This record gives sequence, structure tokens and C-alpha cells, in this order.
Amino acid sequence: MEKIGIEQISLAFGFIILMLGLWGILSRKNIIKIVLSFTLFDTGLNIIIVAIGYLKNKTAPILDSAELQTDTASKIVDPLPQALVLTSIVIGLGVTSLLLVYALKLYKEKKSLFINDYKDLKW
Amino acid sequence: MVNPIYIVAVLLGVAFTSGFFSKKGKNIAGYLSMLALGFVSFVSLQWLHGFLSEQQAAAQIFTTAFKPPFSINLLMGKEEAVFTSLINIMGLIGGLYLFRKLKETGSNAFIALLLLIMGLNVIVMTRDLFNLFVFMEISSIAIAGLIILSQNVKSISSGFKYMLAGGLISGMLLLGTVFLYYFTGTLNIDGMLQQNLNLVKGSSVAVFLVITAIVLELKPFPANGWGVDVYEGADAGISALISSAYATASVYVFMKLIPVASEQFQFLIAAIGIITFVASNLMGLRQSNPNRLLGYSSISQIGLLMAIIGLSSVIGESTNFIVISILVSHYFAKAGLFWISGIIKTNSIRDWSVLRHSKILLVSFGIFIFALVGLPPFPSFFGKWELIMNLSGSHNFIWVTAILVGSFLEAAYMFRWLGYAIKLELPSEIKPVIKLNKIIPVILFAASVITAGYFTGMNHEYGKLINYIPLAFALAFVLIEFLPVFIKNTLAIAGLALYFYLNYQSYTDISRIFAAIFLLGGILTLLAGYAYKGKRLGFFPFALMMFAGLIGLIEAKSTLEFFYAWELMTIGSYFLIIRGKKSITHALSYMLFSIGGAYLIMAGLGIASIGKADLTLSILHQVTEYAPLVFILLAVGFMTKTASIGLHIWLPGAHAEAEADVSPMVSAILLKAGVFGLLILLMAMGEQFIGKVSIPYLLSWVGALTALMGNMMAAFQEDAKKLLAYSSIGALGYAVFGLSLMSHLGWLTAISFSITHFMLKALLFLAIGGVVWRLKTKDMYKMGGLIKRMPFSFFSVLIGIIVLAGVPPLTGFSGKWLFYQAVMEKQWFLQGAVLFFSGIIAFLYCFRLIHAIFLGQLKDEHRNVKEAPFWILVPQYILLAVLLGFSFLPGSMLKPIGNMLLPFLPDGAIHWNGQLATTVYGYWNGKTVMIIIVGIFSVVFGWLWFMNRKARKIKQFNIVYAAERPFRPETTHFAYNFFAPYKKAIGFLVAPGITNFWNRIDEGAHAVSDKFTKLYNGNGQTYLIHIVAFIVVIYLISFGGF
Repeated sequence: MEKIGIEQISLAFGFIILMLGLWGILSRKNIIKIVLSFTLFDTGLNIIIVAIGYLKNKTAPILDSAELQTDTASKIVDPLPQALVLTSIVIGLGVTSLLLVYALKLYKEKKSLFINDYKDLKW
Repeated sequence: MVNPIYIVAVLLGVAFTSGFFSKKGKNIAGYLSMLALGFVSFVSLQWLHGFLSEQQAAAQIFTTAFKPPFSINLLMGKEEAVFTSLINIMGLIGGLYLFRKLKETGSNAFIALLLLIMGLNVIVMTRDLFNLFVFMEISSIAIAGLIILSQNVKSISSGFKYMLAGGLISGMLLLGTVFLYYFTGTLNIDGMLQQNLNLVKGSSVAVFLVITAIVLELKPFPANGWGVDVYEGADAGISALISSAYATASVYVFMKLIPVASEQFQFLIAAIGIITFVASNLMGLRQSNPNRLLGYSSISQIGLLMAIIGLSSVIGESTNFIVISILVSHYFAKAGLFWISGIIKTNSIRDWSVLRHSKILLVSFGIFIFALVGLPPFPSFFGKWELIMNLSGSHNFIWVTAILVGSFLEAAYMFRWLGYAIKLELPSEIKPVIKLNKIIPVILFAASVITAGYFTGMNHEYGKLINYIPLAFALAFVLIEFLPVFIKNTLAIAGLALYFYLNYQSYTDISRIFAAIFLLGGILTLLAGYAYKGKRLGFFPFALMMFAGLIGLIEAKSTLEFFYAWELMTIGSYFLIIRGKKSITHALSYMLFSIGGAYLIMAGLGIASIGKADLTLSILHQVTEYAPLVFILLAVGFMTKTASIGLHIWLPGAHAEAEADVSPMVSAILLKAGVFGLLILLMAMGEQFIGKVSIPYLLSWVGALTALMGNMMAAFQEDAKKLLAYSSIGALGYAVFGLSLMSHLGWLTAISFSITHFMLKALLFLAIGGVVWRLKTKDMYKMGGLIKRMPFSFFSVLIGIIVLAGVPPLTGFSGKWLFYQAVMEKQWFLQGAVLFFSGIIAFLYCFRLIHAIFLGQLKDEHRNVKEAPFWILVPQYILLAVLLGFSFLPGSMLKPIGNMLLPFLPDGAIHWNGQLATTVYGYWNGKTVMIIIVGIFSVVFGWLWFMNRKARKIKQFNIVYAAERPFRPETTHFAYNFFAPYKKAIGFLVAPGITNFWNRIDEGAHAVSDKFTKLYNGNGQTYLIHIVAFIVVIYLISFGGF
């Protein structure tokens, strides 16, 4: 049997974190905790993306050494997922901060961070 | 052409620049933003124009020096041009609407708007999956930023729920995107489409993740509580942006990505879409908050689009036409409705009567509702038609049923709402402040949706054949509403007369009879309109629209023209009916029965079109598959207009509450549209069978029972106009029965009966209308002894009931005579007996009508009442003259009709010799009978007059000649509960069983609606659980768990 490599480990790890985040999102009642669970969810997602781009025995896609200048594609890992992760992290930051702004505003309205208190609109 | 990349560049540039303006510079930021939005609208419209004039080829825009897949590319094709134009215009006009609100917040608010529009543009144009994800996130963040502008707890909590749901969904999209990249090696959508993803191992989960995420963005039932809450909680201007711009972009994303999915998965999504459509409309039923109601409606419309796109493999090449026409209607209408809601700011749709403070808002409101429901001449009318034709043409009956049920539910709550706005009392405490920047967008969009409808029609194969001149004539009266009745009435009559004169020769035989009933009848009833003073706002456009529809039925060559005319007639008559005083519920039930009937007709025409290349009306002659089904659908559809038993409950109230000249229009003329429909149906399809039972045989029972029920109900009415209305139901039962006989004599009876009924019912409704006009009451027990005060009306009613009751010598008798000949010939004696019995009941109510109103004691308060207005009498006496003429010479009417029927039913069965008609059972000479009866009458009358010439005339309360002194004059009147003994005997037969049946259906629908909406408990976390559960269930369905 082939040895379990770093990519499988990180992929599994990513999924575990993602699921932890999802569990938090669905089960926590405190709004701040829900927001934190979202960041956990995003982190898990980002790890998965990087893990998918990883190829065994290949190096980082930074073309500084002369050796990498020839036959590049077979020597480096896929650079695209890493670029995507950067974008994804930035977006995650934006979303988290906006969520926190909402949390703040909600707290100002009712002095409560209990999500069940905000059921003004229904049916 | 301006490079579309400038759309992104300009919006982004101005957004960045605006960041530099301080609070003081927010005006500049605002104007600059509007300028930028104007510019991008121009760019996309310019491309759209290029594509429409067909000089333009789709253009690829590359963002770097590399070609895809190594760079992100944008595409500007025809669809992209349409969608970006819609989005940018919404940005501009929606920005105008929100201008003051955005300015209050400062330049940041404008930045959010610009970023939203920029994001949506890229979403539409990009061909790169990851790029799509990024810009969807940007748009959501921008929307969340806009929602929070309104600092109240509803707004903020709805925005928070939106962000939670959005976060979960976008995570799923990202995961799917990355997996797709992993399996296909590209992020380029075209690159993915080139590979057959069904064969790429493992990719199905990735496709599932991406597509389900996009579906969730479209707010499928039941994972859409967050969406509804946002529509309700956000400022109406923002909800308009979400509903129009954001949903438009999301729909396009879905269109773009759906080819990635397998056909099976597409069907699954179509099913989700249709469930969303029906469920959301069902839940819309119980809504009273306008924004929440609009939210449900938005979600339902997007669900419908989801279904259509999912079914694109079935629908074929017209998918784009259907999607765009329905989407465009939704886009204009929903934005407009949200904007109006934002102007009047009420929490209940019952308060929307405040719209009457502003005529232009009320008119726009009506336009939006009609556009949304899919009535002509709006784009969705053509879209829905094409959709139903396509689906029923390809045997997809379950889909057709679901779509029609959903549409019907939507029509129900939308028209209830419109009724509230038109009829409910004005709440005194609310007076909307109407600002120019808020009303201009509404007017612009209302005008645009009409224009869009015209262009959609012109782009439809059969739509462009429709004759819009009558409709244009009707609508032209909107422009001259400021003129007095006298001028408008003259113009209307002249218009109808000219149209009839120019065209009557082009109508073939039977059509010509109905054209005469519709148009000449229209002129006659319009004559009565001279009695009205003032402007009579809103009467003429709709009356003429009804006549335009009626004449359209006659002129229709293709199925679409016929259906268009049918709907037009419905719209016009709806507004005529709702003019009545207490007609709010009656108008609604009229509309619902009409729409239900119209949908049946549409489905019937669709099934009839199976396997046919061209959709002329002649396809009904060659229906090969499901012929009985087609027949039943169409017949039931037409019978909603003839108000046959079971489908009649809308009629009595609607006709009784209508104005003096509207009652004859809707009762004497409009009902004949149903007869005309049945007639052409029977002509085309002949006798159909369910198993061994002949459908016309069933129809004959429907006709007979309708006649019985209508006449019995008529006998027990206290309200004179209701009595006439029920009598119309009964009379139409006779007509349906006559048609169902499928014989020469039967049809001859039905058609001549239609003509007679038209004349006598117009006569009676006008005469009674004149009495009600003077007395201000419709209750017969409050009348009496009016013979001396209103002799002319008395004479009209007298002749009217003689004709109605079918006693010799007038034309009603010749009708009855023919009728029994036809029954005997066909040997349907049971039905004949029922009809004979109903005829006897007709005597009862005829007698009551003349006795209670004109004979007996005159009421105290009516001592000075005047004869009915001159102009209401004029058409009555014209009708009287014609009636007497026909009675004297029945052959001159019956013979030509018989000749017209010969090509269809060659067995003449009746022979004419001058005015002498002979059948196998007997003979009848109208002229001789008339002379004999008039002779006997004159002799008896002369004798009585001679004997009583010395009689002394006494006053009503001359107690010397009376047995007793009436204590109170009222108590001498015994017209109240006139037929009490009969009622005791057979009253149970007329208990409102059918009305109760329909009421129970209504209550049931509301109860289910209530249950469904309880899903949405308002908790953001519950909504997230819904989303996760939705994903799991869809996963299990598509990967074989179930």
C-alpha cells in the first residue's frame, strides 16, 4: 500500500476543519461564535484548495533557480490553487468583517447576541 | 462599439474616486455615480442594439496578454447584451429612486451600488468559474452593505440572515469550483463544456456542488427563508435591486452553467424549480405585508425560470425567448411594485387604496400586476403561451399542470391585491408623500413593460399577426380621459360602427351573427351611456378593450390570436365589473374563474397542437391525440364564460352590482363569447367520446341542469338585477343544451336563442337599470306601483318578459317551439322535461319582476319619482322594435341562420314557405299567429275598455272604496319573499352548495399556505439548517440514495 502523503493528510485535515466549522455554524447560538465558525469553515476550505493543488515531489512554483527554467511544468506544483487561495482569503476577510459589523449592529438594537432573539421577520 | 471592459473599468474607477470625497462631497459622488451608471447603460444598450440589428458578432474580451485558459476572458454576446442592459438600467433607474437615501448615508452608499452593478456585469460576462465566484461574492457583500443602510432591526437581522446563507452557499460554490478544476484542469467554462463531464471520473460531485450552489442562490423552496426575509426587511428600493438586477444576473449564471450538468440532474433542478414556483405562490396567498408578498412572488418567478431552463432540452430552441420574455416582465413589474411599495410605505396590502391619491401610480400598479400574471399585451403573455404550447405539444402534461396551478395561485393573490387598491375605503391616516425621483422610475418602468410587450409580440411567429388596432383604439381613450362623457361616448360609438362597417363583409356566416351581437350590441348599450354626466373616468378604455377582445375572437385565425382576444376581453370586462359599488369580491371571483378557464383553454390548444407545424385555429379540425381531453379542456374553459352550473358563482354578484349600462354589456353580450367558443369547438371537433359516453350528451345535462338551477335561483331573488343575472345563467343553459344536440335544429335554436337572449336581456337589464337609477335600490320589495311613474320602462319589461317566458306571439315562443322540435328529434326526453320544468319556473320570476316592480301599491317615497333617463330608454325602444319585427317575421331571422348551418349540419329538418315553418312534428307561422293574437287582444281590450268607460278613477288611499285603511303603506306590499311556499317546498335545491364548495377550496388553499409558511420561523440558523438539509436531500436523490 502506498504511503499516505502530505496531500492526503492535509486534505483530510481540511475537511475536518470545514466540518467543524459547519457544525459550529449550525449549532452555536451566540452570533459571535457563529461568525467564528464561519472563519473556521473558510480555513478548512482554503486548506482543501491548497491540498488539491499539491503534487508529490514537486517544488514551489517560484522560478528563481536556473534548474526550474527548463521543463518547468513537470517540476512545480500547480500554482493556480495557491493563487485562488489568496483571493479566497481576502474575500473571507471581507465577509467576516461585514458579519462582525452586522453582529455589532444587532447587538446595538437588542443588546443580545442570542440568534433566536432575532425572529422579527417570519412566515 | 465601446469595449465592454469599460463597464468594469468605469464603475470601479468611479467607485474608487468616490472614496476620496468627504461628507461634503457626497453630492458630487452621487452625480458622478449616476453618470457612470448612465454610461454603462449606454455601453450595454449599444451592444444590444448592434445584436438586434444583426450587424454585430459576439465579442471576446481578454483581460491579459494570454488567451484562456491562462487568463480570464469575458464574452459579450446577444444574451449578455440583454442581461447587462437590464442590470445597468436597473442600476441607473434604481439609483435614481434611491438617490436621496444614498445621499443621506454619504459616498460609501454610492460605492456599494456601483460595486453591486459592476459585480453583476462581470457575473454575466465572465467565462471563468473562479472569476464568477469572486464577483458573486463582491455583489453579495455590496448588497449586504446596501441592506444595512436602513438602521432598523428588521433590516439588519434580514441582512445578517442573508450573509449567513450567502457564506454557506459561496463556500459550497468555491469547493465545487476547485474540484471541477481538479478534474478538468481548467477554470474556463467553455473549456469544461468541451470536455464531456459525464465521462470525467469523479467530476459529478464537483458539478453537483457548483450547480446546487447556484440553485441555492436562486432561492429554491424550502431553503429560501433568508431570501423572503430580505425582501421584506430591506428598504423597498434595495429589494427592487435584489429582485430585478441581482436575480436577473443569477438567472443568467444558471443558464450559463446548466449545460455542465447531466440531463438527469437538469430535470431534477427543473422539478425543484416548479416546486418552488407552486409552493411560493401558495404561500403568497396568506401574505398581507406587501414586501413579503412581493418576495414570495419574486421567488416563485425565479423558480419558474429555473424550471424552464432545466427543461431546455425538452423545450428546445425557444427556451431563450421564453426565459427572456418572462424574466423581462418580472424585472420591470417587480422593480415597479417594490418602488410603489416604498412610496406608500404601509404594512398591509389592505391600505393600498391610498394609491388612489395618485392616478398614475394606480395605473402603473395595474400594469405591473397584469404584466406579472402574464396577460396580454405584456411580454410574459407570449412567454407563457410559448411555454405551454411547447410543453403540452411534447406530452409534458404534469409540468403544464404544475405551471398553470402555480400561475393561478399567483393571479389569485395579485388580483385580490389589485381589488383592494381599486375598491377598499381610503384609510384617512396615510397620505403618501410622492417625490419626483421616486415616481419617475415607476412611470418609466410601466411604460417600458408595455413597449417590451409590443416588441416581444413582434418577435413571436404568431404574435406579429395579432391585430393591435382595436386595442390601440381602446388605449387611446386613456389620453382623452379629460373629455366629457358625451364626446367620448360619441367617439366610441363611431369607432365601433366604423369598424363594423369596414369589416362585416369579411366575416363568414356564423361569425357575422356574433360580430353583430358584439359590435351592434356594443353600440346599443353604449347609447345608454349618454345618460351619464361628467367624465366617467376609466370606463371607456376598458369597455372598448372588452369589445376589442370580442371582435378579436371573431377575427382570430391562429390559436394565439384567439387566446389573446379571449384574455383581452377578460381584462376589459374585469374592470367594467369592478366599477360596481360592492363588486370587490365578485370582480375577484370573476377574474379567477376567467383565468382558470383561460388556462384550461390554453392547455387544450396546446395539446391540440401536438404534431402540428402551424398553429392556425384549423388544428382543432385535425386533433389526432387526446381528442376527448382537448374537447373537455376547451369546453370547460368556454363554460366559465357561459357560467354553466358549477362555474357560475361569479356571475350573479358581478352582473347585479354592475352599473346600469354595464350589466347589459356583460350579461347580454359578454356571455355570448362562451357560446361562440363552444360553437366553433363543436364545429371543429364534432362529437367526442369518453369511453362510450358521448361528451355532448354530458353537455346536454350540464345545459339542462344549469337552466333549472338558474331559473330556480332567479325565482327566489329579492334583488331585481340579481334575478336577471340568475335568469341569464338559466338562459345560457338553454344555449349550451341547444349546441349539445349536435343537430341542425338544435344549433338553429341555440343561435337564434343567443340572438333573442341578447336582445331581451339587454332590454330588461336596461329597463331595470333605469328603475334602479331612479330608485337607488335594487330590492323589489322596496318598489311597486311604478307603472304610472315609469310607463315606458314598464312597457319594456312587459315585452321583455313575454319574450323571455316564451309565450306567443313574440319571438321567444318561436324559439321554444323550435326547441321542442329539436328535443323530440333527438329523443332526449329527460333533459327536455327538465328544460320544460325550468321554463315554467321562468314564468314565476317573470311575473314577479313585473308585479313587484310595476304593479301593486306605489310606495310613499316614490310618489315623485321620474321616468328612467331618456338615453337609457333609447336603446330599449330600438331593441323593442327589432324584437317585434323578428316576432312578426321569424323566418327572416331563422332561415338565413339555417342556411349558414347547412355546410356543417346538412340535414335541414325544417322547411320554410314564406313565414311558414314545417318540421316532421308540426308547423308554425309567426305572421299568422301574431295577427291572430293581436286580433284577439284588441277585441278583448276594446271590449273591456268599452264596458269600463264609465269607471271612476280613484287615488291610492281613497278609503271610501277600500275595504280597510292601510296603517302603513309599506305593509300592504306583499312582494317580499314572494314565492315563500315554493321556497319551502324546493328551496333546499337552491342552497348555496356550489358556492360553499368553492369557498372550501379557497379555505383549504389558505390553510395549506399557512402550514407551509410556518417553515420560515425567522431564525437565521434554522434557515441554514434548511440549506444543509436541501443539499443533502438533493445529493441523495441525484446519487441514488432514494
